[in-house]
Amino acid sequence: MAFDIKGIISPFNALKQFGKTPHTVKYPYTKKEAAERYRGFHFNDLEECIGCGTCATICQNKAIDMIEIEGIETTTGDSGLRPRVDNGRCCWCALCVEVCPTGSLSLTKDYLHVTDDPDSFLWTPGVDNPDGEKIKSWVSDVEHSLLDYQRIPMRELEGKERVKSFAEVVLGYSEEEAREEAARCIGCGLCTDNCPVHMHIPEYINAIASGHYDDAVRLIYDNNPLGETCGKVCTRRCEDICAVSKRGEPIAIRWLKRFATETAANKEIIAEIVEPEILPPNGHKVAIIGAGPSGLTAAYYLAMRGFDVTIFESKAHAGGMIMYGIPKYRLPLDSIDKQVEYMKSIGVKIQYNTKVGTDITFDELHKNFEAVFVGIGFEVPYSIGIEGENAEGSIQAVNYLREINSERNIDIGDKVVVIGGGNVAIDAARVSRRFGADVTILYRRRVEDMPADWEEIEGAEDEGVHIKTQAIPLENILDENGRVKAIKYANAEMIPDPDGGRPRPKIIEGDEHVMEVTTVIGAIGQEADYSFFSEDIKEKIEIKRGRIVVNDLQQTSVPWLFAGGDISNRRADAISAVADGYRAVKGIEKYILEKS
Amino acid sequence: MEELKIEKEIAEEISKTFHSAEVTVKREKRVVVKLRDDLITPFLSYAKNNMNFIHLAHISCVDWLEDNKFELIYSLLNYDNKVMILAKTYIDRENPEFVSHTNYWDQAETYEREMREMYGINFKGNKRLTEFILEDWQGIPPMRRDFDTVKFSQDTFYNRPGRENAQDVRTTVTKKSGEEIPEIGKDYTVRNL
Repeated sequence: MAFDIKGIISPFNALKQFGKTPHTVKYPYTKKEAAERYRGFHFNDLEECIGCGTCATICQNKAIDMIEIEGIETTTGDSGLRPRVDNGRCCWCALCVEVCPTGSLSLTKDYLHVTDDPDSFLWTPGVDNPDGEKIKSWVSDVEHSLLDYQRIPMRELEGKERVKSFAEVVLGYSEEEAREEAARCIGCGLCTDNCPVHMHIPEYINAIASGHYDDAVRLIYDNNPLGETCGKVCTRRCEDICAVSKRGEPIAIRWLKRFATETAANKEIIAEIVEPEILPPNGHKVAIIGAGPSGLTAAYYLAMRGFDVTIFESKAHAGGMIMYGIPKYRLPLDSIDKQVEYMKSIGVKIQYNTKVGTDITFDELHKNFEAVFVGIGFEVPYSIGIEGENAEGSIQAVNYLREINSERNIDIGDKVVVIGGGNVAIDAARVSRRFGADVTILYRRRVEDMPADWEEIEGAEDEGVHIKTQAIPLENILDENGRVKAIKYANAEMIPDPDGGRPRPKIIEGDEHVMEVTTVIGAIGQEADYSFFSEDIKEKIEIKRGRIVVNDLQQTSVPWLFAGGDISNRRADAISAVADGYRAVKGIEKYILEKS
Repeated sequence: MEELKIEKEIAEEISKTFHSAEVTVKREKRVVVKLRDDLITPFLSYAKNNMNFIHLAHISCVDWLEDNKFELIYSLLNYDNKVMILAKTYIDRENPEFVSHTNYWDQAETYEREMREMYGINFKGNKRLTEFILEDWQGIPPMRRDFDTVKFSQDTFYNRPGRENAQDVRTTVTKKSGEEIPEIGKDYTVRNL
């Protein structure tokens, strides 16, 4: 046997590994961290989560349930539910994370769960693993999400074009745009809670997305006969709490409603689509004062339920504030007429030019009708309370808008100042621009304090309206003929409210200015004119801060008397008026049926 | 150094050789080539033998249900310059068939088996198109988009006890608001994501 030197030396070869990092597991054992984008167990930020349930909907394994969690309430904008995952069914595809609109759901680096209790695989992310926050690894971001956070832009006339006429500014979605926008909706339905009427929003959006526009129209008319109006001018509280708006632009719910309702071109087509089920006459008579949104809504649904309804309207046209307050470039006359004509076609009677208190007494109504609904709105403007306010050249915005909408012209000259910061002020300013005037809005607070819609403020700025904030009017200066020739105002500083309310403006002494004007338009709010009520009614009903107190079915303390719209709610918009009208129908029906 | 120089050179060579090919430099080390289905084999052969793309990294597929097409994607890698080419083509979704490339790469056999099982594509010339990872699979191939994953999941697995207290979000919201969804709305309440 030959001597083999290799056999002796080769074991020493191993020495060359000396000092190198071993490939074996370290002792004592240290857990190796998972990869950067590892998809382990779920974690849910319970504060961020709004319980929209999109994770549960998308889960292809049906591994996610939405459940009630102790300490989390159902509120507006939050269902109060939170996802619970069956980890026995989850395959960690992370689709749930990708579609989470708030970004609260994520997957962590944690992937070990060893147990002999199969039930322990069922757990609620965030509740059962509060520490998951620190080891989040698979998170969604807006740029690469499966959701579309960008809204389909709405086409509008350009500012310079707009001021030339009263043509409608918003041009509306095309069919393709509407379906694309509708497809962004995740259908959670959280928005419906913030809508005063609780319209069936996810349902009609889903109908639009699938191309069934007729069904969308039916769903809209189910609880809102002024869907087209709302599609154009709604204050859209729904969009404020849209789940997608948490990280992106809310679904254009208003524009989608507008698109759907406009597919029905006239009253015949609306009737053909909606096919309203009108009950045979039940012999009960109801009077409605004021053909505004609340009155029209109440009349429409009462008529459908077989009631004999008559609306008493003091003006020549139905619509109330939507007819006389909203400028025609936002809501054209054709559109109002179409909706009102449709209501009349199903049996709503309207007596125009009939002012209760003048042409017919309130007592007569009470005598001839079993129930009366009052929806007279706020039409009497507040006075600004400055010297020279009643002079020629000083007018009120609601009166101005009413005259313009009645196609009567008022000469405002070429330099207009509008006082106020609400939608009425902006409307008056934008209308004045259309008559070629140079317009300045004087507002006592800051732009961010303005009660007007931001879109309206932006629209006004686009059209060249100047907005002068923190300016308090002091006096109208008159010329020798007693006509307004200038306005004196003072600049103000904002004083924080020690009680935590919004800051208040305080005049800076001596910082006074004079602006030459041809017309001053006041727009600091309105109130109702209750003078038609008889004394004993006035005593019986409760009026708080100018508004009639009603119960949740719009009934006043006088059982047969119902009220709605601006005179009973503080929201002062069309959709709240519609909601009041809709509720009053239930109240009136209940009252009359219980009585008879 | 010129940006994406190698990638552009590769793209140019492909364009010169295959006039009908639609070549795009996607990003660094990534070139996408869209080809007619009958040019895939010549292209793979050319890329392997003349351009040194000797590695077939993967074959994958996209189901374009609405267009009634499958898109096949061949990923090729060049070890020298580390560039990856994605060669794409469309085939018919009805009775999908394509040529096998087992002659060029042995591993194509496995990838093609997978594509047959997941999408139901028949690769003519592959001698081993047998069951792959799904045991006794009945019904349509599961990666096709018309396969109802949720239904399969519900049919196959049971709901663990303790899940009965699950709530519906829409119902919870209507309960709070008092909204009454009419009959015609109910079909649309079902969420389509």
